[in-house]
Amino acid sequence: MNGLRSTSLGQESRNERGILLHRALVYGSVRDFTDIAAPYLDQGVKAGDAVVVITSPALAAELEEGLGTRTASRIEFIDRDGWFRGPMQTLSDYYDRTRRDWWPRGRLRLLTEPVWTGRTPLEIREWKRHEAILNVAFAGTPSTFVCAYETGAVPPHVIMDAARTHPELLDVEGLRPSGEFVDPAEFYAGCNATRLEPPPPYAARRGFATGELPGLRSFLAEESARLGLPETRSLPFVLAVNEVATDVIRRGGGHGGVWLWAEHGELLCDVADPGRVMEDRFLGYLRPRPLQPGGAAMWAVRMLCHVVEIRAGEQGTVIRMHLKLT
Amino acid sequence: MSSNRVGAMTFGDHLCLPYDNDDERNAILLDYIGDGLRSDHKVVYLSAGVAAGDGAGSGIDGLLGRMTYGTDDAAALSAALAAGQLETGPWDADEAAVLVGTAAGLARAQGYGGVRIIREPDAAGASGCGLERAFADPGVQAMAVCQYDRRWFAAAQVERLEACHDGRVVVNALHDDGVLVITPLYAPPGLRLAGAIDESTLPALRSALLGARRGPHLCLDLSRLDFCDMEGLELLVAAGRGGGVGGMERQVVLRGVPGYLDLMMRISGWEAVPGVFVEEAAR
Repeated sequence: MNGLRSTSLGQESRNERGILLHRALVYGSVRDFTDIAAPYLDQGVKAGDAVVVITSPALAAELEEGLGTRTASRIEFIDRDGWFRGPMQTLSDYYDRTRRDWWPRGRLRLLTEPVWTGRTPLEIREWKRHEAILNVAFAGTPSTFVCAYETGAVPPHVIMDAARTHPELLDVEGLRPSGEFVDPAEFYAGCNATRLEPPPPYAARRGFATGELPGLRSFLAEESARLGLPETRSLPFVLAVNEVATDVIRRGGGHGGVWLWAEHGELLCDVADPGRVMEDRFLGYLRPRPLQPGGAAMWAVRMLCHVVEIRAGEQGTVIRMHLKLT
Repeated sequence: MSSNRVGAMTFGDHLCLPYDNDDERNAILLDYIGDGLRSDHKVVYLSAGVAAGDGAGSGIDGLLGRMTYGTDDAAALSAALAAGQLETGPWDADEAAVLVGTAAGLARAQGYGGVRIIREPDAAGASGCGLERAFADPGVQAMAVCQYDRRWFAAAQVERLEACHDGRVVVNALHDDGVLVITPLYAPPGLRLAGAIDESTLPALRSALLGARRGPHLCLDLSRLDFCDMEGLELLVAAGRGGGVGGMERQVVLRGVPGYLDLMMRISGWEAVPGVFVEEAAR
């Protein structure tokens, strides 16, 4: 395309309106961070972009000081603890805010500081997956995502995988393409490669087939209450499992089984479909368009749960739903 | 006051039909008459102040024009249908009660299984019905539906009239499989959905939506819908497509949307679908 050249920081121009830039900012000190981030934000403000910062209050304060109040007042600051609640909620919030607030103003110039501490291994894997999905979910949109990783504060494997999920890397040396970057579908498939432990022997079990979902729903409501799920969250849980079971009946093997148990403060529910190898390629991560038949079910399931894992193989398919009990 | 489906009526039932919508009233009476024909019952239209020799009461003519039975049915209908008139002209409770007993006896003598009474609406019965005396006999081979046009009475009068009956007669469900109950609504036109919409009840919902009368609006009362899956929700918000007059879109009004369904609509991004109006909960 005429006029499109390899990008360097601060040289994004109007001919990049429809291109997603997704960069990992790897820094060792707060000073390095502000040296890189402040010009990026400042140039966005000058260019009239929608400039948004999602970090800890401490980093936000550093940036405000570095930029000056006049520039900072034209930036939207969001607290990262409220934003990064769960990979699915965050993805949905990105979809909502970009369409409603940010893109109408122009190009989105985002600086984020994802949260990696206090996460379980499962959650960390899903947040890594989230970074890979952003490349697909926001492909071809006028957005720049710069995601900050502090080398001392974040586990090394997180920074290594950042190089695999971000097409470009940014540090005090400057901007360069990431040699480690992998196709998001490949990274996604890698996240599905770990084996699921089978349900414990004490898990409550029930089979289902067509016409038997009313009974399955009663079973789920009773058992989840027994395992400590508050009544107000019972129906969303039942809705999620019902959607998965419906999919097994209508598009899968036609019948399946449900296992339900609690461990480590979570309610877990497996739905097994012995009759199908389900293809999971960003399944339920790309927001359904209104009234596009069939596309909404797994999106809804993921939204209703904390984490949903899908494993398919010779034994069929298992969909494992995690809900926080507290 | 109990509500009784017209299709579940049996001998000894004396029910009232307070109405303010003619479509709803006609639907109930047509089912009542149709069930009578199929069960070999005699149908008596009981009215006051109709000139003798007028054949079937004038109030029933419009109804019969709506019946869509074959010629055999039409012949059976004219044989089974009789008009009972009160000699005294205005409504007389004593005379009416006697007439029910006489009609039941006559029907039996004529070989019918029993008699179905329809009481014509009139303004004179405000003080009470009177037919309840005929139903004091538990063995009576008769049932009755007494019509009252709500628009003629004050609310307290309607209550007093209702109290003379065993209960209220209501329209038959379009579908009832123990999981999902679909009943027609008349003002505004639409459907009440109660129970659960899932993979097993979805086909019934689909055909009820297709069969709903065409018009510019379709009201879906969801206040008793305990469960609805995503496919069901898709069907509800798409119910306006091609359902209007001449294949145009119709406006879908969702009434009494439960909290979980509101959540599902927000999650799926369907809370603002063109042509779908979500009524605010009445609080």
